[in-house]
Amino acid sequence: MTSTSLRSLGAKVVLASSSDEAQPPQNIIDGNTDTFWMSTGMFPQEFIIRLAESTGIDLVTIDSYNVKSLKIEKNTLDTFSDFQLVAETEFELTEGQLQSNAISLKGTTASHLRFIITSGYDHVVSVHRVSIQT
Amino acid sequence: MVKLRARCLLLGDAAVGKSALSQMFSSDGAHFHKNYSMTTGVELHTKCVNIPETTDSVELYIIDSAGKEIFLEFCEKMWGQPSVVCVLFDLTSQQSFDSCSQWMDRVRAHCRGMQVPGVLVGNKSDLSERREVQTTVAQEWAQSQGLDYQETSAKEMENCEAPFHSVARAFHALYQERRETIRNLHVLA
Repeated sequence: MTSTSLRSLGAKVVLASSSDEAQPPQNIIDGNTDTFWMSTGMFPQEFIIRLAESTGIDLVTIDSYNVKSLKIEKNTLDTFSDFQLVAETEFELTEGQLQSNAISLKGTTASHLRFIITSGYDHVVSVHRVSIQT
Repeated sequence: MVKLRARCLLLGDAAVGKSALSQMFSSDGAHFHKNYSMTTGVELHTKCVNIPETTDSVELYIIDSAGKEIFLEFCEKMWGQPSVVCVLFDLTSQQSFDSCSQWMDRVRAHCRGMQVPGVLVGNKSDLSERREVQTTVAQEWAQSQGLDYQETSAKEMENCEAPFHSVARAFHALYQERRETIRNLHVLA
């Protein structure tokens, strides 16, 4: 179990392509899988997490539902530019329970992580928790 | 409050009035082109629909796709993954009604097994003396396909909003259903 949430480490979700007031994007980094952010229709969907400082990341763990294809990009700047692709993956369908996937980033340094959901198993997808191991 | 986004495919044979209907709807009745101009590719119209008795809305991305068979292969590449579908026919053309089942088959191939709410639309209701398709027949077929049914006249601005409001409401209902499912996942886990 990762005990500290990204939010308590000073991270922020600084962009999300969908927003339902009932499920704000900050739910992604509160460390709790009971709360979630949900897309509101069509693909692609994305969100960007700004880390408190540039950090070397070994592993990203994502708890989600109905996500099919995901791309992760990063940059090492203070701004939203020059993102580089660091991982591209496909999740399996898990009916009735959350998808939980760990993606190795091999110690890559990042100040922003951008998650792009290019397709889903349903019209809408949810992301419940993103955590990182450094 | 939430703003949903839905990709709305608008399909049906050539000259049934797809472009006229979507232009009428997206321009609030400001544009009805008296001269026919065939759509040869796809055209995109967007419009936001408020959901009654809520503060929610659905932004429709209406993909108006050419009805002529020779353009189909190209157009299908632009369909993407539809959220909702409107299949149109001309109430004065039995043939255009008969084609609807083929249009539905084509849509299903793009849905990847997902539930896609839809509406069947009989257009040109103003041409009542030339009507070839009776309301009850169309209604029955729509029901057998799980579609809502509406009759419109893009020319007379009759009922043009109804099909789009219907699919917007259906997509909103689907969203709420999915949200409940996801909320309940934790109770199980």
